[in-house]
Amino acid sequence: MSSRIGVDIGGTFTDLIFFNEDDGSVLVDKVPTTPAAPEIGCVDAINSAVAPDLLRSSSYFLHGTTVGLNALLERKGSVVGFLTTSGFRDVLEIRKGSREEWYNVFWVPDAPLVPRRRRIEVRERMLSSGEALEPLIAEDVIDAVKALREQGVTAIAVSFLNAYMNPAHEIEAEKLIREAGFDGAVSLSHRVSGEYRDYERSSTTVIDAYVRGRLSNYMEHIESRLRAGGFDGTCLITRSGSGSMTFTEAAERPFETIMSGPVAGVEGAAELARTLGLGDIISADVGGTSFDTALIRDGRPQLLYEGSVLGMPLQTPWVDVRSIGAGGGSIAYVDVGGLLQVGPQSAGAEPGPACYGRGGAHATVTDAAFYLGMLASGNLASGIRLDRGKSEAALKPLADRLGYDLTQTAEGIITIAVAAMANAIREITVEQGFDPREMKLLPFGGAGPMLATELARELDMREIIIPPCAGNFSALGLLTSDLLQSAALTRPMPLNDESLSQANDILEGLFKDLKSRGSAGVNGTDTQLEVALDLRYTGQEHSINVQPDADDGMITAAADDVQNRFEATYREAYGGILDTLIEIVSVRASVRRPLSGSMDFTGTESIATSGSTDSVRAYSFIHREYSEFPVMERSQLSGDKQRKGPAIIIEPTTTTYVDADCRYTVDAGGCLRINLEET
Amino acid sequence: MDTLADSEIRIYRALPGTDTGTDADPVQTEIVRHSLNSAANQMKRTLIRTSFSPVIYEVLDFAAALYDTKVRLLAQAPSIPLFMGTLNFCVEAAVEGSGGVDNLEPGDVILYNWPFGTGSHAQDTAMIQPVFTDDGTLVGYSAIKAHWLDIGAIAPYCTDTKDVFQEGTFFPGVKLYRGGKLVDDIHRFVLANSRMPAFVAGDILAQATAVSIGARNLVRIVDRYGLEVFRNTVERIFDHGEATVRSYFEKIPDGRYVGHGMMDNNGVDDKPIPFNVIVEVRGSSVRVDFTNSPEVQPGPVNCPVASTVSASRVAITMLAGGNQAPCDGHFRPVEIVTRRNSMFDPNPPAPCFLYGWPAMQSMEVIYHAMSKVNPETVPACSGGDLCALVWWGTRQDTGEMWGDGSPFPVGHGGSISGDGSTMMHAAEAATRFASMEVMESKFPWVVEQCQFVQDSCGAGKYRGGMGYDLGFELLEDAYCTPTLERTRTRPWGLAGGGEARANSGTLRYPDGRVEAFTKATGLPVPKGAVLTIHAGGGGGYGPPEQRASEEVEADLKEGYITEAFAREHYGNL
Repeated sequence: MSSRIGVDIGGTFTDLIFFNEDDGSVLVDKVPTTPAAPEIGCVDAINSAVAPDLLRSSSYFLHGTTVGLNALLERKGSVVGFLTTSGFRDVLEIRKGSREEWYNVFWVPDAPLVPRRRRIEVRERMLSSGEALEPLIAEDVIDAVKALREQGVTAIAVSFLNAYMNPAHEIEAEKLIREAGFDGAVSLSHRVSGEYRDYERSSTTVIDAYVRGRLSNYMEHIESRLRAGGFDGTCLITRSGSGSMTFTEAAERPFETIMSGPVAGVEGAAELARTLGLGDIISADVGGTSFDTALIRDGRPQLLYEGSVLGMPLQTPWVDVRSIGAGGGSIAYVDVGGLLQVGPQSAGAEPGPACYGRGGAHATVTDAAFYLGMLASGNLASGIRLDRGKSEAALKPLADRLGYDLTQTAEGIITIAVAAMANAIREITVEQGFDPREMKLLPFGGAGPMLATELARELDMREIIIPPCAGNFSALGLLTSDLLQSAALTRPMPLNDESLSQANDILEGLFKDLKSRGSAGVNGTDTQLEVALDLRYTGQEHSINVQPDADDGMITAAADDVQNRFEATYREAYGGILDTLIEIVSVRASVRRPLSGSMDFTGTESIATSGSTDSVRAYSFIHREYSEFPVMERSQLSGDKQRKGPAIIIEPTTTTYVDADCRYTVDAGGCLRINLEET
Repeated sequence: MDTLADSEIRIYRALPGTDTGTDADPVQTEIVRHSLNSAANQMKRTLIRTSFSPVIYEVLDFAAALYDTKVRLLAQAPSIPLFMGTLNFCVEAAVEGSGGVDNLEPGDVILYNWPFGTGSHAQDTAMIQPVFTDDGTLVGYSAIKAHWLDIGAIAPYCTDTKDVFQEGTFFPGVKLYRGGKLVDDIHRFVLANSRMPAFVAGDILAQATAVSIGARNLVRIVDRYGLEVFRNTVERIFDHGEATVRSYFEKIPDGRYVGHGMMDNNGVDDKPIPFNVIVEVRGSSVRVDFTNSPEVQPGPVNCPVASTVSASRVAITMLAGGNQAPCDGHFRPVEIVTRRNSMFDPNPPAPCFLYGWPAMQSMEVIYHAMSKVNPETVPACSGGDLCALVWWGTRQDTGEMWGDGSPFPVGHGGSISGDGSTMMHAAEAATRFASMEVMESKFPWVVEQCQFVQDSCGAGKYRGGMGYDLGFELLEDAYCTPTLERTRTRPWGLAGGGEARANSGTLRYPDGRVEAFTKATGLPVPKGAVLTIHAGGGGGYGPPEQRASEEVEADLKEGYITEAFAREHYGNL
């Protein structure tokens, strides 16, 4: 028995999904997010949607949340003190010296999370060899703790130079901090990350200390309420770097969850790609304010080893999701030079698009789509009935300035939004040397299926796959994630058989560390130990991640094999190789455990809507004219033959627009498949 | 570009609009504009992903752009702003050098690095690919100028060259690829002239791949809309950029505004070089006048005119460009006037290795002029330099050569919108500096400190950003080429704000002796010596007595200023 509950908290809506392993059924719910206390909204959603006996018999609660991100956004985290090596007090404030707005001479960076008065130097110095140049001066730490307590500090971050090579001074500092009677959270940089780059590691350590209190309280609230309701399973939260971790481990390593929101959808897309053997796909998640896209190759999302949030770097695995400010709520306007622009400003949920009738006056992508008939009768799941008159009134001033009629204006808004999304996809694919035309598009989110055919056409893509529960797909994605833990250590050394044996010693330590973390006790099946090396040509800075042959977490490959694999990867990426020595930069270890029980949502039946299925007059982008579009219930299409477009396909949380040049069908896996005709 | 020239004076303007007789569709125009910028971004990302040298993938010392057949800038990826709108000169010169437009074939890539065409030093080498559609119509150019680690000069980085021929090997528009095929003779010849051929070979491949990505995308965009629609939308894109900049200058009162500045020296002799730039606003147009510039200099601080033009364009666009990605249209309201054979328009063979330093100063001086319109227009002066270092040596144990270089941040001026901060100079806005830990793992030194210096900021209602000290203790003998500028002129304040600390450098020898340095080629730094950059702060904005007392208290508490500084500038506390 492994029923699963997934709750994904977004900026506007909290999505819930319940998978009942007994009968394979799926239950979906969408409730407004309660921004002041999302943990209460989360528990309320579960209590109202999942019957008590089902809650008691569920094995897993999986959660995606923006609570850590919001703490950073709103600057409502702990009061953090920062201890650093003498001489390096301002690393957090000088950063890398870069600017985010390159063409704006007035741009200034945000203030660091820790102001200078709470950044305190202590005398100690490690060298890059790991040798101590100067010992840690205990009284500096004791004095610092005293000064920080006087400033009301509730968490202390410690980041010493070269602690990735030798953490002894950080460990000693922690002991001294505790002996001095400080009982708040202490984050040590080498525990957060074993990789080099002092600013990035310090930034990560400070973020860890900053969000820890908020996230711990939040998770404690949810877990205790679920336990009170009889839930006896495991609580898990998604990681920025894919997979999930237990609440216990997340309380120790909260920085790993910062991007847990957009990653869930990509995880679901990857799972779908693996289960259905879809090959390489591009996910296109279109919500109210943003468009998030990711590349999925060989059934896995592309992983980076550094992320960034609000201009601050995070040294942690990071699913490569690109976001641009284009979504259903993006506002259209005519700029000073007379061109039509769409976004990045969004009408959000309040007041929302003009057609919501909640006081929004600006024309949005949703207004344009509704005006063109792409949303059929405009009865949304959340009970909103769209108002055509309000869309027209919002589009009118734009049309007047452009000298267009309303249809041209609305078409223009959709086309511009889609072109921006297509460019984002081109950039993410070309960066990795791929051609989107050879891949499949997987749209989801409230507005993804609405724009899918236009987006595919713009990119010359032929195949679209709209997954089951497309409007709630991010929450569905939560349910599919494996338990995943990872750790890495930077140790630059030349690649040879001897250094590979040292890498194995490092791996042993890393796996031991992973076993000591809070997710270790969870029952999973089929534990997989994954091993990777960051390699580079000597003298280069950037490295390439290579997976050597390994057995039970130990590298079995010889140096020659590793070199061959590196060169093959290098050649694929750069078109050639160098006659230069190769070195190991970092050693990476992960433990992956798929959750027990099966989670096959590909047979998921779609749920009927209450919307009308009378045909509507809608605009065909391929014919550039209005015609009659039949309106179909997605739930009525399962196991269906291939049909010819046009059509509008409705389901509770999203609407799919199929243009006249497409064919569509629902396959045995419950996916709505759309094929564009060759032009 | 138009060049009006008499014997002495040259005037540079972007080409005016062409009336195509049809109004381009505003939606298609926006899509084409966005797609061109995306195409330039893809060139940039390809180069970053595939290049071998940190100076390219970390420092982003390159420019990637697409041009139309009239060599008008269609789109440029954000990289080094100082390279903004500078490639048109070198596209024109490269095409001419390689035999003219009629001699171009699909798949050609032209190599060009003559400083008086690129505006840069020899190391900044351009590759230009003419872009043809399948039916053989030339539709534009894909171009990247990127900094190669070494292409032969008297040193890897030079501050005291006396003519341009001491500064590298030149490629005056030669085909590195002909019809898509590498010309092996040229390739071998290029590598034979570098101290670091392996890196240069890797970067050549990366740069050629990236220009081809640009070419492929430009063809895709032209094919998608058809050549005629494409051309019409391009005119509209330019008009759009032009309208953005004009709407800014319409609001600026007409007048002649003079900015003053000073270079420390020319790298060969040690005399300061004062200069001025006149910014003349008339209606919605602006003229940047360099005709009062100093004579051409005997040391390498001459700025070839292409960079004088681009420094002016970047300074103006950062104020007036609406934070948009720039195109040729943004440059139309801007006219640049130079005097032949002056520091800002030198003739060959004037040395110009440090061309970027006068270019950077000219940006500060243009802002100084704009501040006379109204101090709210610009921030107060920054440290005004990159505080760049280039270093190398031979490892004691292995005998291998090591080396690298990096720019470093400076304090920035306060402005009407608030206090200044510490970051890279606006001319190198995209740049980052390397991590201390990465440097220590690669080079035989220990970083002694990287931290703010109290009172290094200019006082003001909005204070300037902090200056800081960055010191390296060498564990083995090494050489360094420091290129410090603006050590003699303190960053000025605006609207009553105070001056900040100027840049300086010191070398503390193992015996305790301390010597100052500014610019030097191959300065020996022995084992045990500590090399320190004392980066300048930013000037203050507004009268210090108007600074809110809680802000002054906060500055004291954070340790940005001392009590003595507070008493001196902010009065009784």
